[in-house]
Amino acid sequence: MSKAATWLLAASFFAQDARQIVEEAQRRSRADSERYEGTLEVIDARGRKSRKRWVYRRLGSHGDSKAIIRFTEPAEVRGVALLILNHPERASDQWMWTPATQRERRIALQDRSTRFFGTDFSFEDLEERDVNQYDYRLLGEETIEGAACWKIESRPRKTRASQYTHSILWIRKENYTFARIENYVREELVRRANYREVHNVQGIWTPRLIEMQDLRRNSRTILRLEKLEYNVPMKESDFTLQALRREF
Amino acid sequence: MLLARLSWAYLKRHKLRWALTVAGVALGVAVLVAMRLANRAVLASFHRTVDGIAGRTELQVHAGDLGFPEEVLERVQAVPQVRAAAPVIEAALDTGLPGQGYLLVIGVDMTGDRSLRDYDLESGEEAIIEDPLVFLAQPDSIMVTREFAQRNGLEIGSRIPLGTAQGTRWFTVRGIMRSGGLSQAFGGNLAVMDIYALQYVLGRGRRFDRIDVALQEGVSLAEGQRALHEALGPGFEVEPPAARGRHFEAILRSFSLTLNITSLFAMLVGVFIIYNSFAIAVTQRRTEIGILRALGATRGRIRALFLGEAAVAGSLGSVAGAMAGWLMARWIAGYVARLLQEVYGVVQNVQTAPAEPGMLAASAGLGVVVSLIAAWIPAANAARVDPVRALQKGKYQVLSAGETRARWWLSAGAAAAAAIFLWLGQSLVLFYAGYILAILAALLMTPALALWLARALRPVLAWLRPVEGALAADSLIQAPRRTSATVAALMLSLAMVIGFGGVARSIYNSLVEWVNTTLNPDLFVTPNAEIANRTYVMPGEVGSEIERIPGVRQVQLVRSARIPYRGTPVLLVSAEVSKLAETVPRRPLEGDLDDMYRRTAAGQATIVSESFARLRGLRLGDVVELPTPQGLLRLPIAGITRDYSDQQGTLLIDRSLYRQWWADDSVNVIRVYLAPGASAEEVKRQILERCARGRRLFVLGNQEVRRYIFRLADQWFSMTYNQIAVAILVAVLGIVNTLTVSITDRRRELGILQAVGGFKRQVRHTIWMEAVAIGVIGLVLGLGLGAISLYYSLEMTRRDLAGLSLDYVFPLPLAAWLAPVILGAALAASLWPAETAVRGSLVEALEYE
Repeated sequence: MSKAATWLLAASFFAQDARQIVEEAQRRSRADSERYEGTLEVIDARGRKSRKRWVYRRLGSHGDSKAIIRFTEPAEVRGVALLILNHPERASDQWMWTPATQRERRIALQDRSTRFFGTDFSFEDLEERDVNQYDYRLLGEETIEGAACWKIESRPRKTRASQYTHSILWIRKENYTFARIENYVREELVRRANYREVHNVQGIWTPRLIEMQDLRRNSRTILRLEKLEYNVPMKESDFTLQALRREF
Repeated sequence: MLLARLSWAYLKRHKLRWALTVAGVALGVAVLVAMRLANRAVLASFHRTVDGIAGRTELQVHAGDLGFPEEVLERVQAVPQVRAAAPVIEAALDTGLPGQGYLLVIGVDMTGDRSLRDYDLESGEEAIIEDPLVFLAQPDSIMVTREFAQRNGLEIGSRIPLGTAQGTRWFTVRGIMRSGGLSQAFGGNLAVMDIYALQYVLGRGRRFDRIDVALQEGVSLAEGQRALHEALGPGFEVEPPAARGRHFEAILRSFSLTLNITSLFAMLVGVFIIYNSFAIAVTQRRTEIGILRALGATRGRIRALFLGEAAVAGSLGSVAGAMAGWLMARWIAGYVARLLQEVYGVVQNVQTAPAEPGMLAASAGLGVVVSLIAAWIPAANAARVDPVRALQKGKYQVLSAGETRARWWLSAGAAAAAAIFLWLGQSLVLFYAGYILAILAALLMTPALALWLARALRPVLAWLRPVEGALAADSLIQAPRRTSATVAALMLSLAMVIGFGGVARSIYNSLVEWVNTTLNPDLFVTPNAEIANRTYVMPGEVGSEIERIPGVRQVQLVRSARIPYRGTPVLLVSAEVSKLAETVPRRPLEGDLDDMYRRTAAGQATIVSESFARLRGLRLGDVVELPTPQGLLRLPIAGITRDYSDQQGTLLIDRSLYRQWWADDSVNVIRVYLAPGASAEEVKRQILERCARGRRLFVLGNQEVRRYIFRLADQWFSMTYNQIAVAILVAVLGIVNTLTVSITDRRRELGILQAVGGFKRQVRHTIWMEAVAIGVIGLVLGLGLGAISLYYSLEMTRRDLAGLSLDYVFPLPLAAWLAPVILGAALAASLWPAETAVRGSLVEALEYE
């Protein structure tokens, strides 16, 4: 066997291995539904802090789910909601609802790279990352905040429109949860998400704290997941535009 | 050096005339600079606003002022060549803040608009909006420029009032834009709001004004345009942002042309003043020239002497004029901006008239060149002076028979060519060439005609004052050269005034007829304080509410807005045509009254204004294709009428068609007819009580609207009044110059008159009568050329500017008004020279004897 053939075989093995790791992480986090109350703390470059709260509900899982984020605090933004319909074969559909004007607006695909209402998340970051929408490559192993992790590169497939050229994922070997994701535009690292405070909730290991850093703006947003529940009974009809308008 | 000394000595002796000559150049250059800078300032302000707002926008999708339904956005976003597409609404709202006027509010979708526009160009680190989510969640959120905030002492959390469709509402400043880019637009009086909040505030419904588009990398503008046209159909315009500037310029075309004509006119007047001054100087200095020639000065040196003086006068006048023009420009730009706002409903914030060094230098250079051209003939005449004839006083002023014959032939040739060009047809080039030739013919004939008129005036003057009148007339008869330039300048000025004034009067007469026929409702209900403004609209259901009010006989719903037609904006008026047929018996210029209303009311045809048809070469029965969000609406022209709603032309369609093709139920004017005996005041009160709650609403009486329309007309025609002022100024300058020379020339004659017992008052009377005679000659010739000029001005209005065929009505009231003004100005201009004549030294005057 030539050297080149050996290298190709090895590359193929590692590629398959990386995908298997991500698939396993996705499988372990699967739940029919999810609900939590989130607290968002945005800390800008000058250290100024702002705080918001939302309620998150999701029905379905990975790549074929529907989710609603509805803000509850502060009073000025109460009722503002985002409906996300994830699709396995293409980018999600998103609508925002503002109760004061009684209007929903579609968040265009082109706008997914913009910041999610002043936080360091972009609209795209709120979508689910289905394993089949990316190609993977195992880059090696590293320790992140004391936890041994696989370091994997993911690149969006052509069918997956993304602002990011590629991402580097760190997945904890211990429980297949994400420890860190770094998102790149070309070769520039633009956002870094750290996943901390991993707890077992109803048999699913879940990070309860996500810190997203915007390295261009030098700001960060901390999302704390409270009152987290999985497999809560929910109806399909609660994840429609009508429901978005009705619920407030 | 010797020649320079001679010039200096002459200048010192005739400071006032030099000052007048320099003033003539300065006047021409100042008006030219002021008009051009003001025009440029307005256009530059518009372009700055367009560019500032456009940001990285490569193409804009629009369908005129009417906008289009929101669904179009998804169709645009789905085009593969499109990288980003952002909806936009724009409106100039009254701020209610002292001295701030209008605030241009741009409604954008704040969730994604930054892919096209930068709101914080200087720094990406500091959040310009305190909290983007609060900004979106609260419809009273507004983001203003740092300049606007500083001017008004605003900071985050401050509140500002704005006129909205719901009346005056308070908005909270939740963002301040840094300087640069977008914030430079509209003189910094710019604000950004969430588009959905602005829709609500303006009562626009689910519609956008336009969609700004950025293309994918590697996609050319042409490819993008093609792809968007294919996706959207012919009802939409897809153009680069710069095209908006072209539309604006199209709206302003006739206005800009008027400004240009005024500035050229001022320059032409300057030419005559310079020509006059130098012709006089040559006359006065012919003895000096003769001596110089006798001493060996070449013809070239003599020519250079006068051209050098002209260059100095031109330079001084040009520099002074350029500076004065620059100072005047800011005031004129403000005036023009106000005029545009009132007449066209186009709000512009013109804060500065930029000092463009290139333009100022070019204008000053033009002033010098024009001075040299104007002085060329007198300088050439000076060079031709025969030393022997130079000592024969007075002879030089006489026109030779050969010279007169040559002028006659040239003049006849020019007049014949002008007539042939006019007869040849519709070519604009030939038409304007004919106009210039007609003026040239008149100018060539001026000395001979002035002489003939002076002879005709002699018996009248002699009858009025036997001695003084005869002397005054003889002075004009014996020296026609001396007065011909003044008469020519006066004639030209008056001809222009009669031309423009006549057009103004014809339009005014037609306007009165149109207003009487068309604007006959008792009340007009509108959400805009000024009826020409179409920023705000209201739902059609307001009409039903008004219809239920006791005393209301009929309501007519009208929605009007500019839409693009073959690249220029035209006014589309949708109304209930069957009702209009009952109340507005608008006599068609082409077509049958009953048939045009019947077919248009049935949605089968359109009635267009004469200007719309003529400017586009359309005739009765031709089919117009109107772009609509649903595609092209094809309608035959069932009638052509006179309509003054818009200079680019008007199309009337039935409201049912508008609702169907534009999917819009809004109105911007409701015409209300009262039942016999109903009180307009009571109905107005009831309309306000029932319909104005939580809604911006104005109820205007018929007389109020009429007054408003005529005020607009007056503002538009105010340019004519400025021209009249310039004409009078020219008359005064010219006559003062001419009389000064006349007195110098006739010092001996006047001295003898006084020596043989003539009274000082007789000398005064002689000069006064001479001045008034020059005024009369200028007036007669001016009115004559004015009659021709009026014909050309009316044709210019019909063929090129507005497509309006106006009746030829000589503006007799204007002429009657001009007569005493010009004669009074002539008399006033003669006062100082007359005093100089009587106060001169008798010994000095008679030294020759």
